[in-house]
Amino acid sequence: MQDKLQQIKTEALLALKSVKDKIQLEELEIKLLGRKGGQLTELLKGLKDLSEDAKREVGQLANEIKKDIESALAKKKTEFVQQEMAGLLEKENLDITQPSLPPKVLGHLHPNTIIQNDLEDLFTSMGFMVLDGPELESEYYNFSALNIPADHPARDMQDTFYIKGHSDWVMRTHTSPMQVRAMQKYGTPLRMIVPGKCFRNEATDVRHEHTFYQLEGVVVDKDISFAHMKGVLESVFKHIFGPETKIRLRPKFYPFVEPGVNGEVTCYLCKGKGCRLCKQTGWLEVFGAGMIHPNVLKEGDIDPNIYQGFAFGFGLTRLAMLKYGIEDIRLLESGNMKFLEQF
Amino acid sequence: MTKHYMLISYQWLKKYVNLPDSITAEEVAARLKASTVEVENVEFQGKNLENVVVGKVLSAEKHPNADKLKLCKVDVGNEKLQIVCGGSNVVAGMLVALAKVGAKVKWHGEGELIELKPAKIRDVESAGMICASTEIGLAELFPLKDEKEIMDITHLKARPGTPLAQVLGLNDSVLEIDNKSLSNRPDLWGHYGIAREVAVLFNKNLKEYKTDKIKPGKGGAVKVEVENTKLCPRYVAVAVSGVKVGPSPEWLKKSLSAIGLRSINNIVDITNFVMMDLGQPLHAFDAAKVVDTTIVVRAAKDGEEFITLDGEKRKLDSSMLMIADQSKALAIAGVMGGLDSGITDQTNTIIFESANFDAASIRHTSTKLGLRSDASARFEKSLDPSLAMPALQKAVELVLQICPGAKVAGKVVEASKFSVKQGPIMLSMGLLEKKIGTKISKKEVERILTQLGFEVKSKGEGFAVKIPTWRATKDISIAEDLVEEILRMYGYDKIESSLPMFAINPPEENKLRKLEREVKNILANSLSYTEVYNYSFVSGEQIAKIGDDPAKYIALDNPLSKEKPYLRRCLLLNLLENLEQNQAGNNTLKLFEIGSVFREEDSGLRTESNKDSLLPGQDTWFTAVYMEKKNNTPFWAARGVVETLSKTILPGIVVSKSGADGFARHPSRSAGLMMGEKNVGSLYELHPKVGSNFGLEGRVGVVKINLSFVADLQQFETTYAPVPAFPAVERDLAIIVKKNIAHQDILSALLGADPLLQSVSLFDVYEGANVSAEYKSMAYHFIYRNNERTLVTEEVEKAHQKIIDILKKSFNAEVR
Repeated sequence: MQDKLQQIKTEALLALKSVKDKIQLEELEIKLLGRKGGQLTELLKGLKDLSEDAKREVGQLANEIKKDIESALAKKKTEFVQQEMAGLLEKENLDITQPSLPPKVLGHLHPNTIIQNDLEDLFTSMGFMVLDGPELESEYYNFSALNIPADHPARDMQDTFYIKGHSDWVMRTHTSPMQVRAMQKYGTPLRMIVPGKCFRNEATDVRHEHTFYQLEGVVVDKDISFAHMKGVLESVFKHIFGPETKIRLRPKFYPFVEPGVNGEVTCYLCKGKGCRLCKQTGWLEVFGAGMIHPNVLKEGDIDPNIYQGFAFGFGLTRLAMLKYGIEDIRLLESGNMKFLEQF
Repeated sequence: MTKHYMLISYQWLKKYVNLPDSITAEEVAARLKASTVEVENVEFQGKNLENVVVGKVLSAEKHPNADKLKLCKVDVGNEKLQIVCGGSNVVAGMLVALAKVGAKVKWHGEGELIELKPAKIRDVESAGMICASTEIGLAELFPLKDEKEIMDITHLKARPGTPLAQVLGLNDSVLEIDNKSLSNRPDLWGHYGIAREVAVLFNKNLKEYKTDKIKPGKGGAVKVEVENTKLCPRYVAVAVSGVKVGPSPEWLKKSLSAIGLRSINNIVDITNFVMMDLGQPLHAFDAAKVVDTTIVVRAAKDGEEFITLDGEKRKLDSSMLMIADQSKALAIAGVMGGLDSGITDQTNTIIFESANFDAASIRHTSTKLGLRSDASARFEKSLDPSLAMPALQKAVELVLQICPGAKVAGKVVEASKFSVKQGPIMLSMGLLEKKIGTKISKKEVERILTQLGFEVKSKGEGFAVKIPTWRATKDISIAEDLVEEILRMYGYDKIESSLPMFAINPPEENKLRKLEREVKNILANSLSYTEVYNYSFVSGEQIAKIGDDPAKYIALDNPLSKEKPYLRRCLLLNLLENLEQNQAGNNTLKLFEIGSVFREEDSGLRTESNKDSLLPGQDTWFTAVYMEKKNNTPFWAARGVVETLSKTILPGIVVSKSGADGFARHPSRSAGLMMGEKNVGSLYELHPKVGSNFGLEGRVGVVKINLSFVADLQQFETTYAPVPAFPAVERDLAIIVKKNIAHQDILSALLGADPLLQSVSLFDVYEGANVSAEYKSMAYHFIYRNNERTLVTEEVEKAHQKIIDILKKSFNAEVR
C-alpha cells in the first residue's frame, strides 16, 4: 500500500507537468482526490483493513502525500489564474490618448482677475490691507484732496467724466482718491492697496480705453523713505516679472507726490537687451510713484511733520496685456467668448 | 498745430555750457532723461546726408529720349558722373547737391527714405541723383519755389566732392523732448533753461545770459494800458523804427531750421529765436497799425470776433484777454496774433511785446478756442515774469544787429504788478536724510542747489534756500520740492533700496473682496461659468429694452459717445448684450460679472469728511446668466447656482416667494433670495419679451445677489452632527398632487411630523403621460432613524403612515 501511495504521487506529479489548462487540472484533481473514485480516496478506503500500527504508519504517509499533491495542484492553479488574468487585462487595453468624454467644459476667470488676485495675495502677505472705494467719486477726493488744483489740466472735460446735475461728482480718474479716504479712516501706520476700476474720457483704440483697472498702494509711518519705496517696488516687480527684474526711476510730476517718479522695469521678454515689446530700450514703463505730498497727508488728517510715506500706482490692465501679450486693450471689456475662453 | 515735443539743438546748448567734445549728445540726453525731462530721441542732422556731396554740373544736354529730362555730366571731385536730371533749373556751371549711389533720398520729397542704386532712365545710365531740397530733408533751409526745382548751392562756392553736410555745417544733434514731461517746469521751455540743468548734471559752469540794456531813442514812446493786472501781471514793450523786413541771415535760418522752425522773415525769426532761447514768447506788431501807438490789454467782449494769424475767424468771450488798441483788437493775449496787425514787407516801425500772462487764463482761452500755439504752451505753464525784460533786450539787440538802419524809438515802457515768492525755504539735513533714506553730504547739496540757481545760506544743521524767480512761479515752494531737486540731480540710481520695518499685525480683512473672490472661483471652477468685465455705462436703448425708466439712472454729463450715457443700475443689461453677441456658435452660454452699480436713491460715502452730502449708493453685485438654446426652463440651471453658493460660501441664502416681484421677469418663474429677513437678490427667468427685445435665441436664467449686503450678513455655522451609531430605514414614495402644490409647503408640513423622520428629499418630479394635465408626480426619499437604538419595522411603518396621512389630508395627494 505504501508503494501504491508513492506510485500515485509520482504519477500525479508527472501528470501535473503535462496539464495544459484549468479544465485538465480540475480533471486531474478529481481523478486523484475526487470523493467518488479518486485514486487516492479509493486507495485510502483500504486503510480500515490494516492493523492499528500499520494504519498509523500508512495513514501518516498518506496524509503527507495528499498534502504534497494538493499543494502541487494549488501551485499549478495559481499559475493558470495568473496567466488567465494577464491575458484578460491585456484584452482590456484602452486608448489612453483619447480624452475623457463628454469633454470637460471649464469656466474662465477674467485675465484681470487672475493678475489682481495674485497681487492682492502678494501685498496681503506683506501686511497691506486691500481696499476699494467708490467708482463714482466726489471731485474733492478725486482732485482737491490730492493737491490737484481747480485749474489743473487733469480736470479738463477731455479727461474726466462728469455727472449730469452734480457738478461735484466724477467717475474716478484713478484709484488715488482712496489715499485720503484710507488715511482718514485708518490713520497711521498705514499699508494698503486699492485695486479698482477707473475712467478717462478718451476715445478708445488698440491702446486706449475709457475704462481700465489700476492698483494703487500707500505706505505711511514715521520713517518711510524714498529708499523704502524703491525696495518695496523692487520686490513687487520681481514677483511679477521674475527675480532678475531691475527697476529704474526717473523724475515725473504728479501733484500728489513730491518727489514724484516714473518707474520702469527691465523688459521681461528680452531681459533688458532690447526687443519689439520694449521698443528696443530694454525697459518697460509700468508705474508711477513718489513720496506723498504733505498737503495730501494733511487732507488725510495726518501730521506731515511726524509722518511721511510713499504712494504708487500701476495699470492692472497694462500688466495683463504685457503678461499675456494682448495686443488690443478693447478685448478686455468686450465680453467676447473667443477671448475670455483663453484664460 | 503745435507739436507735442520741443526740439533742442545740441550746438545751441553748448553756447551756454562748456561741454568737452568727448561728451556726446546721446550722453547728455541720457542724463537729462534720468534727472530732468523725457528725451524721446536724439538725431544727428547729417545722418541722412551720407553720400550726398557737392557736384559741379559740367554740361546739361537734352536727354535723347525724353523732352523734360536732361543728361548731365557732373564733377564730384574724384570722378565725373553721368546723371539724368528732371530739374527745371539745372544748367552747366551750377553747384548742386548730388546724391551718389548708396545715398538715402525721399523720392519727390514723399514717403520713406530709399537707398539710391545705379539706374537706367529712358535707356540712359544714371549714377545718382541731383537733389531737390525736399528730397534730402532740407526744405526748411532751401524752400522750394517750384516743384521741379533742384537745390542750387552755387553761392556756397564749395569744392566738388565735399560732403554736403560739411558745407552746410550740419553737424548738430537735435534732442526731441516730450512736452508733457515739461508741464510743471516753466523754466525749461528754451535752450538756456535746459543748459542750466545740463551744467549741473555734468558739473560745469553755466554762462551768464548777457543782454545789452536798451538805450532809449528819439521819437514818441509806445503807450501801454493794462486793464486787468491779474491776468497780465507784466507788459513790457518798445518800438524800433527803420526796420527793413527781409530774409534772415544764414546763422539765424540755420539755428531755427535745426529745431524744425521755418524761416519767415528777420523780425518773426528774431521773436522765435528769443522764445526758443529763453522760453519767453514775444510778439511783433506793425506800429503803423496800432492807433496812437497805444496798446490796451483788455478783456474780450462777449461775441467779439477776431481773425487770427492763421486766417481763422474766432468767436471770443469776456473771459479771454486781448491785446488791442483803442479801436480794434490786435491779438489774443498769449495765444495768437491777428491777421491784420502782423508785420509785412512794408513795415518800417515795429513794436515788440514781451509780456507775462496768467497761466490759468491762457490755458482756459486756448482750450476754449481749440487753439494752441508755442506761446500759449509756454504761458500756461506759469512763466517767470522776470524773463520779460531780458527777452525784450535780446530781441532789440538782434534787430539792431541784423537791420543796420534800425533804431530804438522812444523808451521801453512797462506796466507791471507782480511779485514772486522766493522764500526762503528752510531745509534741514535731517529732513532730507529722513525723506530719502540715505545721507547726502552737505557740500553736494549746496553744489546742486547753487548750480540750479538757488541762493543757499547755511543755517543750523541745514540751509535757508532762496528760490530763483524762474522756479518760484509754480514748482518750488516747500522743502519737499527741494528734496526732489537734490535727489534727481544726485541720481535716483544711487539710492540703495531697503525695506521698511513694521509690527507684524495682520491686515484687516476685506470681507467683500474675499467673498467676491470666492464667488468668482466657485462660478468659474465648479460651475464652469465665464467671467466678463463690462463697461459701467448703458444706453437708453438697453434701458427701454428691459422695460426700465431712464429717469432713474444717473447720467454722464459728457459721455464719450451719445450711445451709452447712463450709469448701470444692474449688471444684467450688459450681460444680455454679451449673450446676444456670443450666441452664434455657442449652444450654451454661462456668464457672470461682479461689479458696482449706481443708484441715486441709495446712500453712499460722504463727498468730503466734514460735509453731510453723500455720494450715490454703489453696491457690488453679482449677476449670472444662463442661456441654452432649446432649454425652456433655464430657471433650474440658475437655481443650481444659488444652491451651490448656499452649500458653500453663502449658507444662509434661501430661495423665497417673497421678493419675487420685479420688472423684466417671467411672472411665474421668479423668486427672491433671502438672508434672514433681508432680501439680498433674486432668481428668475428673464421675461421672454425682454429676451426677444435683446434678440436672444434662447430663454435666460438669471441670478442676482447684492454682495455688499451679503458680505455683512454672511455667517459660517458649523453644521456637524455626530456620525449615527444605529442604522437608518429608508423609504421612497411617489405621490400625485395638483401642480400648484409647492415642494417647500410639503417639506414644512412633513419635517417634524414624526420624531423618527430625519430627512425628506425630493428626487424626481414628473408631468406628462400617465399623469393628468393639472397634476404632477413627486417622488420623495425618506430617512427614518432613532439615535438611541435600532428601529423595528412596526414603528417605521407607523411613522411612514403618519406621513402618508398628512400628504393625503393636507395636499390631497394620491399615493402611486
